[in-house]
Formats: sequence, C-alpha cells, structure tokens
Amino acid sequence: MRIVVRGFVCFAILAAGNARAAGVGTGQAAGAQKPPAENPAAHNPHLGNRESINAGMMLYRIRCADCHGLDAAGYRGPDLTAVVAGGATDERLYDTIRKGVPGTDMPPSSKETPDDDILQIVAYLRNLGTVAPPERPVGNVTNGERLFASECQSCHRIAGKGGRLGPDLTRIGAARSRAALVREIRTPSAWMAPGYETVTLVTKRGQRIRGTKKNDDVFSIQIMDTRERIQGYLKADLQDVIYENVSLMPTFGPERLNERDLDDVIGYLSTLRGTETAAR
Amino acid sequence: MRPSNVIAAMILVGSAGLAAQLPEARLVTPQDLMDGLKDPTRWLTYSGDYSGHRHSPLAQITPENVGRLTPQWTFQTRTLGSFQATPIVVDGVLYVTGFNNNAWAIDARSGRQIWRYRRTLPEDLKICCGPVNRGFGVLGDRLFMATIDAHLVALDMKTGGVLFDVELADAKAGYSATVAPLVVKDKVIVGIAGAEYGIRGFIDAYDAQTGKRAWRFYTVAGPDDPGGRTWPTGDAYLHGGGSIWVTGTYDPQQNLVFFGTGNPGPDYYSNAREGDNLYTTSLVALDADTGARRWHYQFTPHDVHDWDSTQVPVLADLTINGQPRKVVMFANRNGFFYTIDRETGKVIVAKPFVETTWANQIGPDGRPILSPGHLPDEEGTKTCPDLGGGTNFMSPSYDPTSRLFFVTARETCATYYAFDQKFKPGEEYTGGGTQRPRDQKNFGALRAIDPVTGDRKWEFRYTSVSSSGVLTTASGLAFAGDGDGNIMAFDSRTGKNLWHYQLGFPMSATAGTTYMLDGRQYLLVPSGSVLTAFALPER
Repeated sequence: MRIVVRGFVCFAILAAGNARAAGVGTGQAAGAQKPPAENPAAHNPHLGNRESINAGMMLYRIRCADCHGLDAAGYRGPDLTAVVAGGATDERLYDTIRKGVPGTDMPPSSKETPDDDILQIVAYLRNLGTVAPPERPVGNVTNGERLFASECQSCHRIAGKGGRLGPDLTRIGAARSRAALVREIRTPSAWMAPGYETVTLVTKRGQRIRGTKKNDDVFSIQIMDTRERIQGYLKADLQDVIYENVSLMPTFGPERLNERDLDDVIGYLSTLRGTETAAR
Repeated sequence: MRPSNVIAAMILVGSAGLAAQLPEARLVTPQDLMDGLKDPTRWLTYSGDYSGHRHSPLAQITPENVGRLTPQWTFQTRTLGSFQATPIVVDGVLYVTGFNNNAWAIDARSGRQIWRYRRTLPEDLKICCGPVNRGFGVLGDRLFMATIDAHLVALDMKTGGVLFDVELADAKAGYSATVAPLVVKDKVIVGIAGAEYGIRGFIDAYDAQTGKRAWRFYTVAGPDDPGGRTWPTGDAYLHGGGSIWVTGTYDPQQNLVFFGTGNPGPDYYSNAREGDNLYTTSLVALDADTGARRWHYQFTPHDVHDWDSTQVPVLADLTINGQPRKVVMFANRNGFFYTIDRETGKVIVAKPFVETTWANQIGPDGRPILSPGHLPDEEGTKTCPDLGGGTNFMSPSYDPTSRLFFVTARETCATYYAFDQKFKPGEEYTGGGTQRPRDQKNFGALRAIDPVTGDRKWEFRYTSVSSSGVLTTASGLAFAGDGDGNIMAFDSRTGKNLWHYQLGFPMSATAGTTYMLDGRQYLLVPSGSVLTAFALPER
C-alpha cells in the first residue's frame, strides 16, 4: 500500500526522543521509579562486525532509506550521517528507532522487532559515521583557516561568524567526507543544495536581482539576494525568472586554489565538527 | 399546574409546532446513491457518483466569475495528521474522516463541529504510510468507516455513536484499512491494506444493517483458484499483498463493482514470487451481490516497482471507431493511461501519460512490452516513474460533455534496489527500497487526456510533484492543487489557469467537492488538517 512516505523510517526530532528517554514529563515520583533497564545499545555485539553491518545495511535500505536516503545523507528525513557524527549516542539511536517520535512520520518499531535488527542498523549507521567524518585533518589547518577567511567567509558562516548566502559550515567536518568537500569546492555547480540554487529575477523595469532560491511555486518565488536580503516576489510582477545551473559559489579550480591550499582548506574544514548549533 | 409547569408545557408545545414545520431528515437510499449528483445539495460517495467521474453538474461558479471565489470558513481538526478523505455532504451537514480514524460532523454553513468520533487504536499498529483514512460511505442514517486497525465501523449519522464494529482481519499481522467504503444496495464494500507486511489482500462486502460479511474476494489467487499458478508453489500467496486502498466504482447495468488492486509482496524482490502474481496490480470486475470475478485485467504482471493499481476506475460510454463502447478508463501508477472495455476487460487504448522507461507500449495481448534493465537489484536500477508512480491515489476526473479525462501526473524517476528478505509475521516485507537520484528534477502537472486516443489535449505544469485529485464542473472548470499548497481553477477545455489560493498545505490524496447550500455553490477543499470552504461573495 506504500504511497510515498514509508513506515519505520524517519529519525525526525531526535531531541524529542531524548526528552522522552530522560523521562521528561512522566510525572512519576522520584522515589517510585524503578531503576531503568539497561539500553541494549550499551553493549552492542554488532559494532564493527562486517556481517552485522551488511545485515544492518539491508535493514536500513529496506526500512529507513526512503526517508533518510540510501546514503543516509537525508532525503525527506534528516541527514543521519550528520546526526551520528554530530554526537548522537548509540543508546539515543536505539531509543529513537525503537520508540519512534510521536507526532512525526517516525513511527515506533513493532514490539515484535528483535533488538538485534535495531542494533544491526545502529552498527551500520555507526560504521557510516566512522568512515566519512573522522578523517584525520591533513594540510596546514592554520593556513586553511586563513584561506577560508579570505576566500569563503563572505558567504559561509562558522559558529555565527561569516556570510549567509551559502550554507552554514559550522558542522561541515562532521557532515561531509573529504571526497565530498573536494567535489563541492572544485565543482560547486555540479550539485546545488536545495535552498542554494541560483536564480535571477528580472523586474518589469529590467532590473536584475540575483540570489539563491529559498522556495517557489507557480505563482511566487522567495530568494536571498546577493546582498543577503530575503524577499518574496509574485511571478506575475516579474518580466522573467531565470533558473541558473551555475552556482553562485565560484569554481575553485587548481588555478585559483592549488592542491596544497586545497588540502589546507579541507584540513581546516575537517576540524569543524561542531557542538555549536548550525542553521539547518 | 404550577406556573413554571405551564411555561414548560407552552415551550414543549411551541417546539413541537416549530418542529412540525421543518422538513423531515431524509434517509440516504440506494436509489440516492444511484442518482449520484443529481441532487446538487448532496455528495454521497467518494467520487460523487458510482461512475467515478468526480464531475459536478453545478454551474454557478464559472470560468468568468471563478476569480472572485473567496474562503467562507475553515475547519481545523485540532489533531495531528492530514486529511486524505472526501467529505460526504448530506442536507447541510458534512461528514469527514481524518487521521487516526477521528471523524466529524460539521455544519456546512459555518464550519462548526456538531459531533466528533474518536477511536482508541492499538499502540503498535503496523502500517506503512500513516494512520490515514479516505472517508465515509453512507446509507440510511448510517456512516461506514474502514479503520486503520482493520475494522469496519458503522456510526449513527446524528450522534457519531457506534452501531457496529466488526473486524476485517488481524491488525497484529499487518492488516489495516484506509479505503472509503463503497455502498451498493444493502452492502458495504471495503478492501484491506498492508502489502508491505506480507498480507493476503481481499475485497469484502458486509451487510449494512448487521455488519455480517456477505462475501470475500481474495486479490491474491490461492493454489486452487483460477490464476493460482501465477504464484510459486508454497505459501508465497499467503504474503502476496494486493492491497485495496482506493474506492472502486459500480456499473448498475452489469451489477459489477470495479476495484484496482495493489502491488504484490514483497514489493521489489522478484525471486520470492516468480510468475504474474494475479490478481495484484490489476483491475477486477466483481459481481456486486456475490463477489464472483467476472473478468480481470492485469496492468503490470509481476510488478517489481511497487506500482499499486489502486487508482479510481472511471466508467463512461464512448464512441470509438464509430462503435458505442462501454469503457472503464484508468490512469495507472505504472505511467500508462488505459481505456478498457468494461464488459470484457479487453484493452482498447493504452498509452503512456508520463515518461515510462520500463515499457513504451502495451502489446496486442494486453501485456506491457518490457524494456531491458529495469529489474531492481542490490546495485540499483534507475526507472521512471518512481514508486509514487505516474499518478497515485489522487482522484482523476472525467467530463462527459467534453469527453476529457483529467489526471494529476507525476514526472519522476527512482533508483530501485532489491534484496532477498525472509518473511517474518508482522514485520515489514518489501525486499528492497528506492532512492531519488540526486540529479533528478521531478515535477507534476495537470493533464487532460482524450480517452478515445490516449492523446494529451493540454497540460498545466507545476513546479513540484503534486498528489492532488481533480474535480470538474459542468460550467467548464477543473479544480486541482499543486504540491506547494495552491488550489487552482482551470478552464477545463484549454488548461488556462483562472484562479488560485494558497491553502498553506498541499492537497494530498484529496480533491475538491462541491455542493449547493442556501442557493450558493460551495467548493470544499481538504488540505493538511484543515477544510476550507469557498464560494462567490454574497451580493
């Protein structure tokens, strides 16, 4: 009967799952509480076991991938690579999969779902988290930070400092592999994240307004222009709306950023693993 | 008699006198259901009438004045979850179902609640797609609702009180129900869902008075049934899927009900169920009194892309090649539009209405001619359309005057994966999954199709994929929504956009309905957890 949205899927609002796990709002008297049963994820026998990770991958693809993407980088549901790398504990992952998040598309697992199934999914997710982000920084981080400040910061924000036209990079080291960082710096137009696609609006008077598309429909469009002004326009009031396939981010090819400087910038970005809240 | 008693008696006499001047509440009869939308104050079935046209004879709102359509009231459910239902309209009152089988009776003049039904549901429901519901069926003074815990309940229209509550199947085993019942004569016809949990699908009829089951048709043929050899030996048929989750239609002349059936299970892993897997992803024509199968047509033999054929079968009488033909029209999730002889089940016209990479044409034997390289595997294969299909549960509409069929089309592709998966009772059983390719630019459109040729007459493109149904009216209007929350009106002959209103949430599986009340034509639109009623301004 599946339509588009799938069951046993999204990890939405992990924080809510956490609050529940912590007993917030249970109203129980402290003295009456039983000692909590140990979370099965506290001793997960599947962690690091290749066979278990493969089984977890299959379970993940079947049960979770529709919402969270086959690469776990998020589709309709949140980016789980960022969730895992951002500090979610195995116990928290287990609780969210087991209990779901009320009021969202993330349903609880059935009572019949064996703990092993969930623990294998956790092992798979944990494996993703250890493959991509924790690469050892290479290059000169200090020089990378200096290059970032001169070349990138006017558009990208880190920990509240910098521009807002491009994505916030406070947690980028936890959210992207080195390969992804290289790709997105060398060929930024190859894929533009939703919310950062380039658009040029032409007013009836011929004025051109360039920016990133935040939203649109048949009748209106909402953008951040290159001066960081967020504004909506009715398409009927415009002469033209030009959806561009070139990113506002310049292409940093080898002539603009040599291999050594690229290593330094990525080295710096890899240190950004972020406890501070990044705008999502 | 004390003075106070005298006053009380006067009030009673006065009330009785007043009541005598009011019209009696009319029961909904089988003939009323046959008459469909002849009485424009009512909307009694999922599609408005038995033919599935979702086409109203009303003409107060026209292409010329639709630009002045304005909201009159909104009703918010104050619950989580979105409407997927078509409201029933009976004599000034709306009856609508919502998330978790909540249901309401609402004053159609003001949007104010009259009663509310709440259902206590088990905590660990096994459902693929949310505790949604597609609406009531109605007969006499009873409303009928299929429930997400796989029951059929009858409610008192005046109070929302439960009259009967019967189990369709075991919810613990993954069975659930979301379809709006189809009421035919004295029977309430419903289907079961849960193909992602290894169920064996069926269509049931229940006595509207007693709730006793009258017949059952299994959408997955058993070993001894006709079609049983289209499944491997063993118990694969017991987990073969074939859900029913969109309301069928009824042809009184042939006494046949038509239902589209869902995907086989497991969804993607084909080795578990070699063969055509009848009667999944099919159109079945069943005797309304007995449930006996008269004929079937399988749109996607051995489906491996989760393309449930649970769309509305739309009935019409057409002239094709100079011959009068009784047909059923079907815009299928697999991306093809079909015109089928509804007396024989033979395909007359079959043509893609969206991009279909898996097959370009349907052969003379009615089977799709498959393109190579579209069997899902562990590495993934890209196929168009995606699992959401060329269209889905959103109702189409048919205008018998212009002879145009209207459908919300989805231009989408997906990478399909398949894995071996063992069946475990109560566990999800799909054998795979899908992902949208990152470079894939999906979009939606409202399309008008000539059912005689399958050719597209016009389209209006949306910037996003839409799941909105379509309503047309005799004044030459089509109403539909995009995926961004706009409800729009179009000239149904040209596709020109004439009006829009931002609802704040897209119509998903819902479509507009329209009715007359106090001399005004209302357009009623469910979106998110809100009902919005539109009308032209009062003079």
